[in-house]
Amino acid sequence: MLYDLSRADARVKWLVTCLLLTFALAYGFGGWMVALYAGFGPKQVAATYAPSQMSMAMPPESTVVVEHPMTMSQFAEAAPHQVDTALLVQDTHVHVPMYGVIAACLSVVVLGLRMSRRAALGTISLLFAAPWLDFLGMWLTKFLAPGFAWLTIVGGWAMAAGLVIVTVMALWQMWLMKERTVS
Amino acid sequence: MTTISRAAAVSAVAALLHITPTVVLVDRPDAVAQLLPGADKFFAREVHLADADAHKLHEAVDWSPVDGVLTFYSGRRGTTLIGLLEFVRVDTPHGPVEVSVSFDTLGTIRGVIVTKATVETKPWVLEALRAGLCSHYRGLTPTATPAATAASAALRGSVGELPLYMAQEVDKGVARALAAYRLFAQRR
Repeated sequence: MLYDLSRADARVKWLVTCLLLTFALAYGFGGWMVALYAGFGPKQVAATYAPSQMSMAMPPESTVVVEHPMTMSQFAEAAPHQVDTALLVQDTHVHVPMYGVIAACLSVVVLGLRMSRRAALGTISLLFAAPWLDFLGMWLTKFLAPGFAWLTIVGGWAMAAGLVIVTVMALWQMWLMKERTVS
Repeated sequence: MTTISRAAAVSAVAALLHITPTVVLVDRPDAVAQLLPGADKFFAREVHLADADAHKLHEAVDWSPVDGVLTFYSGRRGTTLIGLLEFVRVDTPHGPVEVSVSFDTLGTIRGVIVTKATVETKPWVLEALRAGLCSHYRGLTPTATPAATAASAALRGSVGELPLYMAQEVDKGVARALAAYRLFAQRR
């Protein structure tokens, strides 16, 4: 432990508390947005990132035209939100640095928690590996197989686990744990 | 504690997807009704582009459609063709914008409607639309150059920088629709 959050000045404790609650709030609204625009199951994740069924695995040798009738109501059917390669490049570019900053902030909190060296290393690894898995899943879903949507879900839950572990431990150790007197 | 942990876990799963939230400005059926007036039968013609054709389109307007598929929607009244319609997505750094462009039977633009924007870009798009952006596209033909489609130029000075920027993105959508129409609309 490089420093001890449980013994830190109240101002530092308050700063860490506000930071963790802000992250939780941001993630909460993120969850709402996911519910609005996609979903939480592997099928919905695959529908968001995998190429649409309309597309062919390889471009045809000569241009192919397919025509079919449509009803007005079919125009109204909500097409699943789809993230194509260009948008995924943009999303990766925008989100990965921010996830790195969030993981770094949470890792600094971990450094001040009372936990074994091994547990701290594991938690820090989890904090950084989760977004890697998340985005790896999206890219593999797009270019290898829709089944990799699971990887994105695992990555998302791993991020959830990381935030929960750090938040619960930090709040507990900062505000609720009774100090043992050391003679 | 269990409840707190569960709530935090559910909220933190937010991170599992990364979505630029879109906002529907005009429902597609409403746009279809306005852009293909009187049509009572509709057909979707999907053009799956071969490499050479995809390259041709890319050369023309620096654009490749999603999954290499262009979709033209035609509207008919009985057996009479009313026109064709395309929904073109333009990806901007602030999220995608969807531009709906319809053509009459002579191949000139009948109308343009911005059907989707994003939470962030909606006010900028609306300001550009209020300034009359879409009226400038009417009557353009598929042979119009991308410079000729730059209706945003007419808005310079009358709207702010960001609405002007979004107008330029709508220009791109119209230029793409024109190029796609010129190159592939008649392809059988």
